[in-house]
Amino acid sequence: MVFNVKSIALLVIALIIGLAIGYGIASIVGGGMVTTVTVTPEKKTYYIGFTLPLSGELSSIGKVWEKVVQLAIEDLNREVQAYGFNVEFRAVILDDGTTEEKALQNVQSLVQQGIKVIIGPAASAQVKVVKSYVDSNKIVLISPSSTAPTLAIPGDYVFRTVGSDAGQAKALATLAYQEGARKVIVFFRNDEYGNAFADFLVSYFREMGGVAIKLSYQTGLPDYASEVATLASKVQSEGADAVILISFDTDGANILSHAAESEILSSVRWFVSEGPHGAGELLSPAIGQFASKVRLFGTRPLFIANPLYEGFRDRMKQKFGMEPGVFSENLYDAIKLAGWAILRAGTYDGEAIRAALIEVAKTYYGPSGWTFFDNAGDKALQDYGVWAIVPRAPEGYQFKDVGLYERGSIVFLEEAYS
Amino acid sequence: MIGFDIVGFMISWLTLFGIYAILALTLNLESGTAGITNFGKVVFYGVGAYVSATLTAYLILILNGVDVSETPPYGIRGIILLGELGNKNPLLNIGLLVLSLVIAFAVSGVLGYLLTYPILRVGPAFVGFTLLSSGELLRIFLQHYEPVGASKGLMAIPTPFGWIADSRLREVTYLGLVLGLLAVTYVVTHRLVNSPLGRTLRALRDDEIAALCLGKHVPRIKATILFIGSGVAGMAGVLLTYYLTSVNPNMFVPAVTFNVWAMIILGGFGNLKGSLLGASVITFVDRVLTFVTPQLGIAAISPDYLRWVIVGLLIVVVLLVNPRGLLPEKPIRTPAVDVILEEFRGESK
Amino acid sequence: MIPGVQQALMNTFQYMLFYLIFSIPLTLSYRTTKVINFAHANFITYGAYVAIFLHGLLGLDIMSVAVVLAFIVTGAIAVLNNTLVFTPLQKRGSSPAIIMISSMGLWITYKYLLYMITDVARYYTAKNFVSYGRITYSDVPRGSIVGISFSQALVASLVAASLLVALLYLFLEKTKIGRAMRAVADNPSLAEISGISRPFVVNLTWFICGGIVGVGGVIWTSFSGAITPEVGDSAILQVFTVGFIGGLVSLLRTGIGAVLISTIENVGIAILNTYFGIPVSFRPFLTFVTLITTLIVFPPLGAGGGLPYRFLRRGSRK
Repeated sequence: MVFNVKSIALLVIALIIGLAIGYGIASIVGGGMVTTVTVTPEKKTYYIGFTLPLSGELSSIGKVWEKVVQLAIEDLNREVQAYGFNVEFRAVILDDGTTEEKALQNVQSLVQQGIKVIIGPAASAQVKVVKSYVDSNKIVLISPSSTAPTLAIPGDYVFRTVGSDAGQAKALATLAYQEGARKVIVFFRNDEYGNAFADFLVSYFREMGGVAIKLSYQTGLPDYASEVATLASKVQSEGADAVILISFDTDGANILSHAAESEILSSVRWFVSEGPHGAGELLSPAIGQFASKVRLFGTRPLFIANPLYEGFRDRMKQKFGMEPGVFSENLYDAIKLAGWAILRAGTYDGEAIRAALIEVAKTYYGPSGWTFFDNAGDKALQDYGVWAIVPRAPEGYQFKDVGLYERGSIVFLEEAYS
Repeated sequence: MIGFDIVGFMISWLTLFGIYAILALTLNLESGTAGITNFGKVVFYGVGAYVSATLTAYLILILNGVDVSETPPYGIRGIILLGELGNKNPLLNIGLLVLSLVIAFAVSGVLGYLLTYPILRVGPAFVGFTLLSSGELLRIFLQHYEPVGASKGLMAIPTPFGWIADSRLREVTYLGLVLGLLAVTYVVTHRLVNSPLGRTLRALRDDEIAALCLGKHVPRIKATILFIGSGVAGMAGVLLTYYLTSVNPNMFVPAVTFNVWAMIILGGFGNLKGSLLGASVITFVDRVLTFVTPQLGIAAISPDYLRWVIVGLLIVVVLLVNPRGLLPEKPIRTPAVDVILEEFRGESK
Repeated sequence: MIPGVQQALMNTFQYMLFYLIFSIPLTLSYRTTKVINFAHANFITYGAYVAIFLHGLLGLDIMSVAVVLAFIVTGAIAVLNNTLVFTPLQKRGSSPAIIMISSMGLWITYKYLLYMITDVARYYTAKNFVSYGRITYSDVPRGSIVGISFSQALVASLVAASLLVALLYLFLEKTKIGRAMRAVADNPSLAEISGISRPFVVNLTWFICGGIVGVGGVIWTSFSGAITPEVGDSAILQVFTVGFIGGLVSLLRTGIGAVLISTIENVGIAILNTYFGIPVSFRPFLTFVTLITTLIVFPPLGAGGGLPYRFLRRGSRK
C-alpha cells in the first residue's frame, strides 16, 4: 500500500515537474518575444481572448496570425491613447490545435476569466461547436476566417470579418471564364470548405455558360500523387481546358508540385482558391515555372491597391520578417473592431459590445477594406483580388496581386506572365 | 487576470470529465479486464454522437411539420429553423434525449457485437489495427453521406435542457445528467468486474487458450462485453452531441481513442477507480493549461505539443515503472469470495 | 485504353517501391522481435525530417549524405526504443498487447517531439518546417528513357529497393549473423541455446529495420509534393496493411502485398472512378477495406497466435 501511495505521489509530482520544466524551456526559448508593458494603476485594462490554430492542421497560418495579433494590439493601444482614452488592451492567446473540443474548452476558459470578446476559432466546424455556448452566455465571437455558408445566421453573437465563399466562388468562376476556360474540372478538398465552395463555383460557372465537373479528394493523406493522376486522366477524358483547385496550403502545394510533372496538366489552365496563397512551398522553382507555364491565377479576399493593406504588409515584413498569410488582414481588422466596440459600448458587457460592434463596423475601414456587417453578422462587402506567382528580382518567386474583381468582371492591373 | 469563475470552471471541467470517464470505464472493462485491445473506441463514440444528432435534428423538424426533404437540417434554412423550434417543448426535448440514449446504446452495442467476428478471427495481436481501421472507415463514410450532413456535419442541435432560461442552471442540470450516467456506468461496470464473469474476463485476458480449455465460451463472453462497452460508449457520444450541439466527421479521429487509452493506463489497467482518476487528471490538466499558457506570453513551442509528449512519455513510463498504474488492480470481490475468506479466517482461528 | 493510364502505372510502381522499403523492415522486425511497433511511423517521418533539416538549416541537397545520416538516426531511435522499453517489458513477461501499447506511447512522444523541434527551428529561422516543399537533390540523376520519365524519387527508390532486396537476401542467406537472425526469428530459445546472443541480434535487427525505413523517408522527400510531420502517420495504415498481407512473416507475401495495395490505390480507384463514378476521395476507404478483408479472410497465422476456434471450420493447420 505504501508503495502505491508513493507511486501516486511520484507520478503526480513527475507530471507537475515535467510540465513546469517544459514550460520553463518553452518560455525561455520564446522569452524574447514576451513584451512586458508596465501598467500604471489608473489605466483600465481590457482583455481580448483569442483561440488560434497554433498547432494542428492550420498551424502554418496560425503561427503567422500570432504575430498579427501582436501587431494589431500594439496598433490599437497606440491609437486609443492618441484619442485620449486611458485604457490598454491585452491579448489572451490560446491554442486550439484546430480541433473542435479544444476550441470549446478555450472559449469556456476565456469566459471563465471574465472575457467577453473572443476572436477565433479559425475553422467553421470549430465555430459551430462554440456557437451555442457564446450565444447563451452573450459572448461576442469574431472569426477572421470561417466562410461556411451554414453559419450565416441572423441575430446571433457570431461575427465573421470575411465574406462568404459564395462571393469568392463567383470571382473565381468569372476569372476562369474570362480567361477563356469553358470546360473546367473543379478539384476540391472533401471537407465543408471545399464542398460548399465547389457547389457555388459550379453553379456560377454553369450560369455563365461553361461546363464544370466536380472531383473531390480526401484530406490528410501522406501524398496526393494518385489523386493528381486521376485528375490528369479526367482532364484528358473530358477534354477540359482548365482546372480549378480549391485547397488549403499543404495539400495545394502538394497537388501543384505533382501537377507540374504531368504533361497533360501542364497543358491546361489552372485557377486556385485563396487557401494556398502565402504558403512558402508554392514558391519553389518547380511550381514557379509551372505557374508561368499554365498562367496560374488565384483569387483571394482582398481589396487591392488598398494603401492600408500595403502598409500592413510592409510592417509585417519589417517587424517579423514574414509575409502576412491568408486572412491576416481580416484578423487584424477583427481585433481593431473588437477594441473600438468595447470602448464604444462603455461597459464590458457582451450585449452592449455586440450592439456597438455593428455600429463601429459601419464606419471602420482597415487593411481588409470596409468591415460593414450584413444582417447575419458577416462581412457584407468583400472585395476579391487576383494573385499570381511571379519571379522575384534576384532569384526565386513571389506572390503578387495582379488584378481585382469589379462589378462582375476581372480587371487586370498588370501583366503577370509575359 | 480579471477574475476567475470557479463554479463555471468546475461545471465545464466536470462535464467533460464525465464524458471521458464513461469512455475510460468502458475501455477499461474491454481492454483492462477482458483483454480486447480496443483501438477503435472512437467508432462507437462517434456512432452514438451521430445517432443522437441525426435523430434530434430530424425529429424536431418533422414533429414541427417541416418537410425535411425540402429543408434538411444540414442546410442553412434547416439550421435557422432548428434554432427557432428547438426549445419550445421541454417534454419533446427530454423525450428525444431518452430516445437518443436508448437508440445510441442499441446501435453502438450491436455494432460492437458484430465487430467481434473479425476480432475473434484475427487473434489478439491484430484486434487493435482492425478496430483502428474501422474508425477511419466510419469517418470517411460519414464525410460522404449526405443525410447526416456529409462533411458539413450537423449543427444547432437542440439540447435536452435548452428550455431552461438561465444558462448556469442549464449547465448544472446537464452536468447532473452526465454525472448520473457516469454513476450508472460505474455501478454497472463495477458489478460486471466484481462478478464471476469478471473473473472469467481476467482469465481471458491473461491466457485466452487456458480459459478456452477450461470450457469458457470465449467468443460469447467477448461479444457480450463488447456489446455493453460499445453501447455505453455510444451513450457517451450522445452526451457529447448535446454538449457541443454540433457534430462533424473530423471530431472522431484516432487521437480521441489514444487520449482515453492514456487515461486508463495512467489510472491503472484493470482498476475502475483508476480510470476515474486517470480521466480526471488528464481532463483537469488540460483545462488548467488553458489558464496557465497565456501567462507565459508567446512561446516558441506550442504547449499542445508538450502536452502530448508528456502524455506519450507517461504511457511508456507507467508501463515500465509501475505497469499497474496509479491505482493497481484489486482482487475481485464477490459474495462467494467473501464467504470463502470468512470461512478461511474462521478455520485459521 | 483508360486515359492517363501511364501516369497511374508509374504511380503504382513508385508506391510499390515505397511500400516495399517501408514494410519489409516491419515484417523483418516483427519476425525477430515479436513487437508490433506503432513507432514504425516515426521512422518514416524522422527519416524525412533528417533530410528536411539538412536542406532547410544547412542548405545541403545531397541525398547520399541525408541517407547515411537518416539511417543512423532512425536506426539509433529503434535501438533506443528496444533497449529502454521493449526489452525491459519483455523481460518482465508483459503481454504483446502491453508492448504494443507502449509502442503507441513512444509513437505519440516522437511525433510531438518532432513538432516541437519544427517549432523551435521555425522560431529561429522563420522558415515553415511543418509543411515543406519537395527537395530537389543535386546528386540523383533524372531523365527520360524511351519516353518514360524517371523522376529523382523513382531512380532513388528503384536503387534503394533493389539494394534492399539483394542485400537482405545475401545477408539472411549467406552470412552467419543473418542466419542467426533467422534462427532467433524461428525459435528464440533454441537459438539462444545454440550460443547466439539474442539481445545482440535483436538490437541489430532494430538498427537495420529502423535505418532502412529512415532511408525510405529521405527518398520520400524527393517524391512528395509537401511534407508534414504527419507523413508517417498517414502512411502507416497502408504500410501495416501491406505487412499484414504477408502475415508479418513472409517477406515474399509482403512483396505481393506491396504490389496489391499500390495497384488498388492507383489503378483500382481510377477504374472505379471512371466506370462507376465513385469519388476519388474514397481512396483511403479502399485501403482500409482491403486491410479488414485481408485480416478476416486470411488471418495472419504466424503472428496472431491463432486460437483453436478460429480454425474450426477450416480444419487444423495441416
